[in-house]
Amino acid sequence: MQENLIKISFSLNGNAVETEVSPELTVLEMLRRNFRLTAAKEGCGKGECGACTVMLNEQPINSCIKLAATLNKADSLVSVEGLNEDKLMKNIQDAYVEEGAVQCGFCIPGMTITSHYLLKNNPNPDAHAIKQALSGNICRCTGYRKIEAAVKKAADRSSKS
Amino acid sequence: MSNVEFIKPTSLQDACEALMKPDYLAIAGGSDLIVKMRNGMYPNLKGLVDISGLPPLNTIRTDENAVIIGSGCTMNQIAKDQLIKDYFPALAKAASTVGALQIRNSATIGGNVANASPAGDTIPALFTLVADIMIIGCNGRRQIPIVEFFLSPGKTKLAPGEIIEGFKLLLRKTRGEFLKLGERRAHAISKINMAVSTWNDGKNHYRIAMGSVAPTVLRCREAEEYLESSEQLDDNTIARAAEIVSETAKPISDLRSTKAYRKQMAGVLLKRALQNLR
Repeated sequence: MQENLIKISFSLNGNAVETEVSPELTVLEMLRRNFRLTAAKEGCGKGECGACTVMLNEQPINSCIKLAATLNKADSLVSVEGLNEDKLMKNIQDAYVEEGAVQCGFCIPGMTITSHYLLKNNPNPDAHAIKQALSGNICRCTGYRKIEAAVKKAADRSSKS
Repeated sequence: MSNVEFIKPTSLQDACEALMKPDYLAIAGGSDLIVKMRNGMYPNLKGLVDISGLPPLNTIRTDENAVIIGSGCTMNQIAKDQLIKDYFPALAKAASTVGALQIRNSATIGGNVANASPAGDTIPALFTLVADIMIIGCNGRRQIPIVEFFLSPGKTKLAPGEIIEGFKLLLRKTRGEFLKLGERRAHAISKINMAVSTWNDGKNHYRIAMGSVAPTVLRCREAEEYLESSEQLDDNTIARAAEIVSETAKPISDLRSTKAYRKQMAGVLLKRALQNLR
């Protein structure tokens, strides 16, 4: 049987793009297969772990439980790759490395993009705000303390510069 | 290989017509539906009708003496809305505890209700706010009080071709609380949840509802009547009300929790909620 393909267009990392997706393809699968953007990862596949976090219209979402076919022309999708030149993201990534917050690394793209959202909206979060913001991102190596320390460090450094 | 048809209707009427066909499902946020699809719960799925892009569903508006919350409003949209926070704090709090940040940006209130989970967090809050469910179908519109909407887990009074358009709440200032217990403090499905709303129109009114303690969310009429007939909200009154809700709860043991724990916690949550509202 012929597979139904749906043509969609939206903005990806600042560029207008077009692609074709099957009805059940998730945004995560589309990013990885159609665009070869592999920072966002599938951990649980059901919205529990946050490894697939991307920004949709400036809000973090789980890309594993969003269908690509539901994207509209006005939608703006940003993945970690879209923040390669972003100063705040660079600062966050450096802080993660310096604090030894990266163990197996699988959760890190989701952690850093959620951290980026937090610091963009709350430049000086306290410990509770950091925990709360990252509560949808699970680290199976359970290295939360160093992750939280890295976010704090990035925040302190951004507010000084 | 997928041969599911994907429909993007441009009007509510088109959406309803598409949903008349057997095995066609509405999708909005998708946070429940996609997980169920992946778990193989819809082996005969023939079509998805994307209602997320229909603008009338995505707003919170006032209409004379009512507030209408569109079914497509996300949990974060509701949790951050100033009118909801001021008038319906139980609902704002419930919405802010659903899943985690990422889920709350996708999950919609209409989906939370239509999914009809006994653990759905916004449902007890809507019970206490005496919400009417606004339904649109191919033959027009109808309204059902939320207490009459649920039949069993996953089953509601929605007929084929019908969509929840929104929720109508009387524009009346309430005070309220929403509390839940899960395996961890954030991002967990409720073992039990409870909403309390109270308002005064010359007389104190209480509404109490709890989830995950029966096949559908339960309204706790007996405890409401007891509180409304009590002169003051002192420790003894709260303790007695807690005993009553504990008796009202009809939980089962399942993978999230046990019958005994849920029954006891029903009382504990009501006690905490009432202490916070005192």
